[in-house]
Amino acid sequence: MASFSTNEFKSGLKILIDGDPCTIVENEFVKPGKGQAFSRVKIKNLKTGRVVEKTFKSGDSVEAADVIDLDMEFLYADGEFYHFMMTDGSFEQHAADSKAVGDTVKWLKEQEVYIITLFNGAPLAVTPPNHIELEVTQTDPGLKGDTAQGGSKPATLSTGAVVNVPLFIEEGEILRVDTRTGDYVSRATKK
Amino acid sequence: MKGRPTATRTMLEARASLLTGLRAFFEARHSLEVDVPAIAQAPASDPWLDSFTVNDPAGVSIGYLLTSPETYLKRLLSMHQRPMHAIGKAYRANEEGSDHAIEFTMLEWYRPCDVRPFETMVGEIQDLVESLTEFGRPEVISYRELFESTFAVNPHRTDVQALIPFAKNRLGAKAAAQLDLDSLLNLLFATEIEPHLSNHVVVDFPVIQAALARIETHEDDAVAKRAELYMAGNEIANGYYELTDPAEQSRRFAHDQARREQLNRPAIPKDEALLEALTAGLPESYGVALGVDRLLKIVTQSKTLAECMTFTGHL
Repeated sequence: MASFSTNEFKSGLKILIDGDPCTIVENEFVKPGKGQAFSRVKIKNLKTGRVVEKTFKSGDSVEAADVIDLDMEFLYADGEFYHFMMTDGSFEQHAADSKAVGDTVKWLKEQEVYIITLFNGAPLAVTPPNHIELEVTQTDPGLKGDTAQGGSKPATLSTGAVVNVPLFIEEGEILRVDTRTGDYVSRATKK
Repeated sequence: MKGRPTATRTMLEARASLLTGLRAFFEARHSLEVDVPAIAQAPASDPWLDSFTVNDPAGVSIGYLLTSPETYLKRLLSMHQRPMHAIGKAYRANEEGSDHAIEFTMLEWYRPCDVRPFETMVGEIQDLVESLTEFGRPEVISYRELFESTFAVNPHRTDVQALIPFAKNRLGAKAAAQLDLDSLLNLLFATEIEPHLSNHVVVDFPVIQAALARIETHEDDAVAKRAELYMAGNEIANGYYELTDPAEQSRRFAHDQARREQLNRPAIPKDEALLEALTAGLPESYGVALGVDRLLKIVTQSKTLAECMTFTGHL
């Protein structure tokens, strides 16, 4: 099994801590002038999302986690699993459970490309693109004359996500939404 | 971008002004600036310091890049018996991080002092901070006070078993159990105490961390007469009431060598020239090493050392 020494630590490195795949968020070299060196790292557990702080003696090794991020297109959901397909032309498919999909479920759109994090070959997490274009399926009509006030109203999108939109937005429009914040960005150019 | 200077114009000016200020401080105190070599036959013996070796074009080692100018300053001190300081580059292999660089600027100064040398040293460190920064006069606090208030343990009378429980949270049980007393003390101090030291001179270290400092008894505890300056959670300077006894110095070398062997770290030649200087006679004196780049980081309120260095990531 591959392993990393503390001097290879950098943010983004995937390591195995107590059997769980983790990613290094921050790595700080700590060394008193006359003493032994340590690496103080902030680690995000990719399973639970929890961030913990850990310290390693410099020179110690940690097992590498078999974690890889791949681009995959969302195909369909069958009620239990969400099916994705590699975009590299291999047509290789992977089924992610609802735990792996997590909150991304409200941004899942067929034919859109997502980053699938595989741990030991199985989907661990699904990350949506930063911006996604979705259709408004329901929103109350905006009141005339209110547009200049910059007011907003809730709108339900085709994936079920609810975002705050300007009052002039109508049902059937395609919107560009930031998936990291859940904020409305703009109207999308009609396709 | 590689190879381009990293420092802004403002940073270059801040560095120049800090260096001018440091030189003026020592000139006013009748200290002589000396220019010493960066290469020596023997490196520092500290078990946890890694020195770069210097090879001639044929690949034959001719010496080491110094981790501090200590050996040359002590040799000068032995011959000239007067206050001296050096500002130059020091080199420490394998030290890279947000507060570490393998090549950095070090100020080191020595002062013969017959009356209360340790207290005089602490006072001079305080004077330096007070006159060159806006942090005011650092507070003096003992290593023991800090350790007791954080862990309720007297660091001079503790042992590995008593400290492992505190290290477990950070390292895990297995790794914590592999540390010796020195490393446990260093880990706990560096991670739990140091970040809270805003402007402090910490005095009287555990004997195990004496390095080349005198050992004295204080309140029934044997302590190393070391003083370290910490500002904004960073170790800035390290001072010793200097060891002058060549026999004791020789024992410390042997001890460091044994530790190196135990830790599987490369053996290094004994610094015979330094021993000779001690044999010829070193005055009662103290010596302090100060990281100029780190002090610059503090006075310019910068986040990283990298932005304070004139060049960084250039290699």
